[in-house]
Amino acid sequence: MRPTDQPIDRRSFLRIGAAAGAAAVLAAQPLTAFADEPADPGAVEAPDDKAASAGKWVMSSCQGCTSNCAVRVRVEHGRAVKVEGNPNAKGNHGCVCPNAMLALQQLYDPDRVKYPMRRTNPEKGRGIDPGFVPISWDEALGEIADKMLELRNAGEAYKLAMAKGRSTGIADVFHKALPEIYGSPNRFSHAAICAEAEKLATGALCGYWDYHDYDLLHAKYLILWGTDPISSNRQISNAISQFGKMRANAKVIVVDPRLSATAAKADKWLPIIPGTDGALASAIAHVILAEGLWNREFVGDFTDGTNYFAYGKPLDESLWQQYGKYRGGNQVYPGGPSSGDEYWFDEKKTYGICRWWNLELHDKTPEWAAEICGIDADDIYQIARDFATQKAKAVSWISPGVTMTPRGGYTGMACFALNGLAGSYETEGGILRSPSAPTGHLADLYAYKDSKAKKALKKPKADQRQYFEFVSIEKAQASHNQNTNRIADAILAEEPYGLKMMIAYWNNWVFSCTGTARWEEALAKLPYLVHITTNPSEMSQFADIVLPAKHHMFEAWGFVKNKMNLYAYLSVEQPCVETLFEARNDETEIAWDLAQKLAEKGWPNLADYYRIECRDPYTGNQPTNAEEFGESVVKIFTQPAWDPAFAAGGDDLKKWADFLKNGVWNSDRMTYKKHYSDFGTKTGKFEFYSETLKEVLQGHVDRYKRSVNELMEACNYQARDGRAFVPHYEEPYRNGDPDEFPLIFSEHRSRLNREGRSANTTWYQDFKDADPGDEPWDDVLKVNPRDMAALGLADGDEVDVVSPTGSIRVRARAWEGTRPGVVVKCYGQGHWAYGHVAAADYERAIPRGGNNNDLLVAEWEHLSSSTARHGGNTRVRVERVRSAGGAGGGQTEGEVR
Amino acid sequence: MTRYTMVIDLGRCVGCSACQIACKLENTVGEDSFLSYHEVVTTGEFPQVSYKYIPTMCNHCADAPCVAACPVGALYKRDGLTLHDPERCIGCGACVAACPYGMVTLRDAAGYAAFDATSAIIPGGTATGREVAQASGALVPYGNHGAQTALTYAEEHKAQKCCFCIHRVEKGEAPYCAEMCAAGARLWGDADDPESDVAKALAAGAVEVSHPDYGTRPSVSYVGTFGR
Repeated sequence: MRPTDQPIDRRSFLRIGAAAGAAAVLAAQPLTAFADEPADPGAVEAPDDKAASAGKWVMSSCQGCTSNCAVRVRVEHGRAVKVEGNPNAKGNHGCVCPNAMLALQQLYDPDRVKYPMRRTNPEKGRGIDPGFVPISWDEALGEIADKMLELRNAGEAYKLAMAKGRSTGIADVFHKALPEIYGSPNRFSHAAICAEAEKLATGALCGYWDYHDYDLLHAKYLILWGTDPISSNRQISNAISQFGKMRANAKVIVVDPRLSATAAKADKWLPIIPGTDGALASAIAHVILAEGLWNREFVGDFTDGTNYFAYGKPLDESLWQQYGKYRGGNQVYPGGPSSGDEYWFDEKKTYGICRWWNLELHDKTPEWAAEICGIDADDIYQIARDFATQKAKAVSWISPGVTMTPRGGYTGMACFALNGLAGSYETEGGILRSPSAPTGHLADLYAYKDSKAKKALKKPKADQRQYFEFVSIEKAQASHNQNTNRIADAILAEEPYGLKMMIAYWNNWVFSCTGTARWEEALAKLPYLVHITTNPSEMSQFADIVLPAKHHMFEAWGFVKNKMNLYAYLSVEQPCVETLFEARNDETEIAWDLAQKLAEKGWPNLADYYRIECRDPYTGNQPTNAEEFGESVVKIFTQPAWDPAFAAGGDDLKKWADFLKNGVWNSDRMTYKKHYSDFGTKTGKFEFYSETLKEVLQGHVDRYKRSVNELMEACNYQARDGRAFVPHYEEPYRNGDPDEFPLIFSEHRSRLNREGRSANTTWYQDFKDADPGDEPWDDVLKVNPRDMAALGLADGDEVDVVSPTGSIRVRARAWEGTRPGVVVKCYGQGHWAYGHVAAADYERAIPRGGNNNDLLVAEWEHLSSSTARHGGNTRVRVERVRSAGGAGGGQTEGEVR
Repeated sequence: MTRYTMVIDLGRCVGCSACQIACKLENTVGEDSFLSYHEVVTTGEFPQVSYKYIPTMCNHCADAPCVAACPVGALYKRDGLTLHDPERCIGCGACVAACPYGMVTLRDAAGYAAFDATSAIIPGGTATGREVAQASGALVPYGNHGAQTALTYAEEHKAQKCCFCIHRVEKGEAPYCAEMCAAGARLWGDADDPESDVAKALAAGAVEVSHPDYGTRPSVSYVGTFGR
């Protein structure tokens, strides 16, 4: 373990100082000599190019997270030496978070794959040496093409799957064009292990099936549901730079089982019991209605001005039956405590408030919620009152923390619905959609599909997204979304059929999906895996061919898209340094080269498509090589942003060269109340009773001739009847018997994770303690000191964390920022491959720390088919292996495993 | 007179470590070595818990013990900064012992060994540190070879400390930690210029320095509070 820095502790410091410099491995070399007088002539370029030594800035993008910040890269002597925010960007406005700088250590990671490699050991499994040997690109692509054509000629083209992790805006040219023309319906992405359930929760209520933006500088009150925007989520750089002003202007409430970085800086931290957020949200909504605090302009009011919610009872259902129709153009409901009179709620921009009250809210008092959530009822009252009285400048910001849970669809809806009550949807200081950012698209593929392809494309998708119990809703369409984490089970069960080949890039699903043991088994079974990757990751260990990938920020063509700070933007990615070895870019070079190889072997359709349909939109010239192809494709996809003929608004770019130089195209600033006339839901309103979701679910069950109640049962939801269509509380679903596994396991993201790809950088390890409660060069289980005492543990003890599905060995850290009864661990460490920093011992497959996904039971939020990793879905027990002092604990090593 | 100083607004600081990564990058600091630091402090009992992240570095003291201790004049004051001349430095470590904050260390060649390593985790398939260094043309590929600190990668036992990126300051730029702080938590400027951000922040009230009891008159100041 590396020494930790303790600058104030003099004695500790002197010890480090005295230990330093045991061996001088390098001759003394002044820094400047590297530019002027090479000490090793073979190692250093001649400094003859003045312009090169002066350096240049090249615009690019950071894909360390989905913030997708526009950056600029400093290139000196052909080397990338700095990454800063692109000052032309209006989203991240010249700022980046620490992740952007970590990319430099990824680029120059000594453990990067240099050449294509072939497996020589047919046996596959964790800890089994694949016996990789380097081969040429020609050999590698030839073998892949042979395998593809073999499948195709056997009428099994559909048994090929394309799988992507990090991808860029041009992904379709590889990830879609290849399988569609080849003849496979199977193209998978990592979307469903990311945050798809969040899109479901918002789309069902407001018709926008996407992530939202937030007016941080004008908000007066924010409730962050598991959201840690200065560390993760989708606009880190913007949140960091605006946090100071936001905090001065607004109250910030963080709901999170652990003290996150944002919770530490918030006005209030509500350390909720994992998975119970829906109860807290319903109680807040109850108070807002019962106390008459909702936004009248947005929601409307009872026509006689009396608040009939104040009685804390359901409104009269009999009158509802009689009159619950439209009156005067507005959705109205009769109601009231006495069935003798008629009371009408004249709803404005919302729909279904009375039914929501009757079906869910009327009895969801703060006292009721306090028991469930572990939050004081007084706090709930206070937050409800404060949130609702900010004149619409209030944000309820949801995240994967509340939605990516087994019952998170409705939890997310419950939390998100508060924006409707506050009337803060699309308002100044509220929650907003993205301005449009138009992009180009692939030319039609149809003419290039032959009869073999057309036949194979009719097969069902291999990830079980079309099964009854996986509704797989994406943008209001059932059976549509990825079911990423189900692919392992589908491979193992050969249901709907067995996949035979996978071409995967920038993903590491055997590490990043919950229930890793299933993936290890599935990938060992998969007959042929091609892995395109920068590092020999866990997934690579199961590959038959490994292809070295270029780094998107520095070495390859691409672009990204996002919105923050009320702007949408497209940001370019362009090669700015030569790749050091033989890496090629997945979406352009490998796509092109593989197409050529397939043509060489007698199947030219993909190569023809690339050549004929991916012409340079400027010159009309067909690409003649992979480099031209890459640039052409990025031009095609970004043309609406830089070609004035498209009149996209926003930045006034005149030509492609402007886009490259500016690096970014910014939209016009988002306007408030833009969709007030029609939110895009079935009723056009903000739906507290979701007719939109009802239609989708009804359509789904009709196809299977089943009922919504049967669907709820199959999807592990407790709701029945009308409750399936309103935001509501569902009890948390937990795997593991509480007697055997007494602690709830809760996980979170690191602010240095770069989507889980940075653990092999030393800076990630050096600054791991920037995640509150964590330690440098380690991967600790954060345990409340009261639980530590009860378990007989001392700070730093080595422990086994055991769940119903697996176990990991890590150090226990006593930390008050953890709720008693809950143990917390960051995701990102625990690599048993990837590199010599990420893994404690690469050769012996010994991880540094432990992978949370070894513990987490594979669960789904079934409406979106998202992977449910949060909400405390897995219980664990903690057993001491070795005490911090090094003496043996209650059990000896080996015994407990 | 110019009196450069840094004011760290803990209210704006989000504790992300970007300042330290920027520092390591700008100054090509070796592994296990740091020119800037941080402390994290968790206090209280659940659920009344407070967490603080405090970035630290050389305090560029007005009465700098390291300057007084250096037998060869390698440490000196200029424009409010405490600077180090590695040409003069004999690596005796007197400054290391003298600094009450522990902010001066001795350079360790082992910090650059990763890019001299010759073993690959997959022989022939993955790179080695030395291969990356050689192919990129620099011992540390992302190293800042333009830094005019005249420091060396590997000169054993010469002192190293934060110089507030003097190579940038001389060009009128802020230290790189301040440049890369997305939160805007690091104010930089001339405390003797009443119009500067730092002078205004210092005049605004409630200013703290690390360990005033050491009597060294630090010029790095802290305002604001990190958390609740």
